Amino acid sequence: MVAAAQETAESAAVRAKARRARDEELLVWPDLVFVEFIAAMVFLLALTALSITIDAPLLDRANPAVTPNPSKAPWYFLNLQELLLHMDPALAGVIVPTVALVALGAIPYYDQSNEGQGEWLSTPNAWRLMWIGTAVGSIGSIILILFDASMHVRIYEGLTHGKWPVALNFIRNARSIQNDLPWPAWTRAIDTNPILRTDLLGLPKMDLSINIPELFVAQIIPISLMMGLPIIFSIVLWKMGEAKTRRDHMIAQFAGFIAVYVVLTLVGTAFRGQGMELLPPWLVKPPVS
Amino acid sequence: MATERPESRSMGDRLYDALFHNYVWRSIFRSGYPNTPRNQMLVVATNVFLHLHPTRIHRTHVKITHTYCLGGLSFFLFLGLTITGVLLMFYYVPSVERAYEDILHLEQDVRFGFLMRNLHRWMAHGMVIMVLMHMMRVFYTGAYKPPREFNWVVGVVLLVLTLLLSFTGYLLPWDQLAFWAITVGTNMVGSAPVLGPPNKFAMIGGFEVGPNALIRFYTLHVIGLPLLAATFMAVHFWRIRRDGGLARPL
Repeated sequence: MVAAAQETAESAAVRAKARRARDEELLVWPDLVFVEFIAAMVFLLALTALSITIDAPLLDRANPAVTPNPSKAPWYFLNLQELLLHMDPALAGVIVPTVALVALGAIPYYDQSNEGQGEWLSTPNAWRLMWIGTAVGSIGSIILILFDASMHVRIYEGLTHGKWPVALNFIRNARSIQNDLPWPAWTRAIDTNPILRTDLLGLPKMDLSINIPELFVAQIIPISLMMGLPIIFSIVLWKMGEAKTRRDHMIAQFAGFIAVYVVLTLVGTAFRGQGMELLPPWLVKPPVS
Repeated sequence: MATERPESRSMGDRLYDALFHNYVWRSIFRSGYPNTPRNQMLVVATNVFLHLHPTRIHRTHVKITHTYCLGGLSFFLFLGLTITGVLLMFYYVPSVERAYEDILHLEQDVRFGFLMRNLHRWMAHGMVIMVLMHMMRVFYTGAYKPPREFNWVVGVVLLVLTLLLSFTGYLLPWDQLAFWAITVGTNMVGSAPVLGPPNKFAMIGGFEVGPNALIRFYTLHVIGLPLLAATFMAVHFWRIRRDGGLARPL
């Protein structure tokens, strides 16, 4: 008797809960379909208006003999083209995007918790971490780009009206570590051809000789920065007590990634003039042939 | 029911019955006009396009600020790009001799040709932006969490396909912008150690961007990648339903 009464009470509670859940629901037609329809119409009209007012670009007929200066990829790849200026092309063009995409896809397998689900940035500290990640990512990438454009040299020479000390020439920018340090001659060409033979793999014969200064500047420094800075960032957040859970770390890292992505895209699109020189947008002229 | 039917029905009621309760309408739509809760649920459940949706949805998911319609708008742009793309295919021949002239012809001589091309271009840029923002929305609302892990991966694949669709389309006008953007882009692939050069060769069908690259990019752009994207979209939408609709707080 008691058990039966308990069961009835329980099923009543379950039914009440189900009823409450039902009360929170709306019918897809009209409540959702209407919103979708309006969104589609607004976009259709806006895009039509845009297409009537602004023409898609069309330059001269393609001519392989005439290279425009600068030649730029489509805007969504300009972040990679920007990376290309600072590191080895294989790293910037293939390895970084591949690693970034695999890391993006791996997010749910790293952060398997259920916290913060179904609502905008609903865990404690989430908004704060998002803003910290955005600030660190954007400021950090801007500083690195300015360093590689020798902005600190220009500022120093502007303030002191003197010359950048010759002894410090090797930190004018990243590339000068390769060119302005007294590397021993043997480090610049280590012959690996007898050992690394791509022709044995059925591929074209390639020269894979090692140039240590080049390797250092184009690969080791960029890889250390791209791997190390996010790791240091997470450790600092953890030590400061800002980020406690995996979701917290993911929010900070993802926000940082988006910030870096946006900064690199913007710099590549609007701040790179002829010869991919760093310029303010108003000095960037259209490409010349 | 005790209430009696009125003797004469109004003009509106008779018109309504003639339009929505007749044999032909019923053969197409199965339910009456969706002005009652029963018919509103039936119309969603029995229509192949609407049944992407459940019949009921939690009230917070209808709020525009929950999703900003970003995923739906990405799909809308894909449909718009398909329609304008098919129209553009009527006028465009993917050969080095004709491609550029066809674009000029399309802009100057074809009625609304400029509009089709402009719409296609701006929708393509819009889709890349929408897909990126949709990814941010899903991340910040924690909608990748269990049981939706795999759908996030499908989403990353769709992001890559969107970028590839846009990139392959970029070459087709065969102007200086197109030619050199694709040259720069494919050179990045070619710079990879060991596997880069053969991959670049396979992508553009030669050592430099030329007729082979144009026909490869065209074929991928108009049939290969859209089919692939449509397949992954089907999985993506199906999984949203299977994994319990939009994510809810626990």
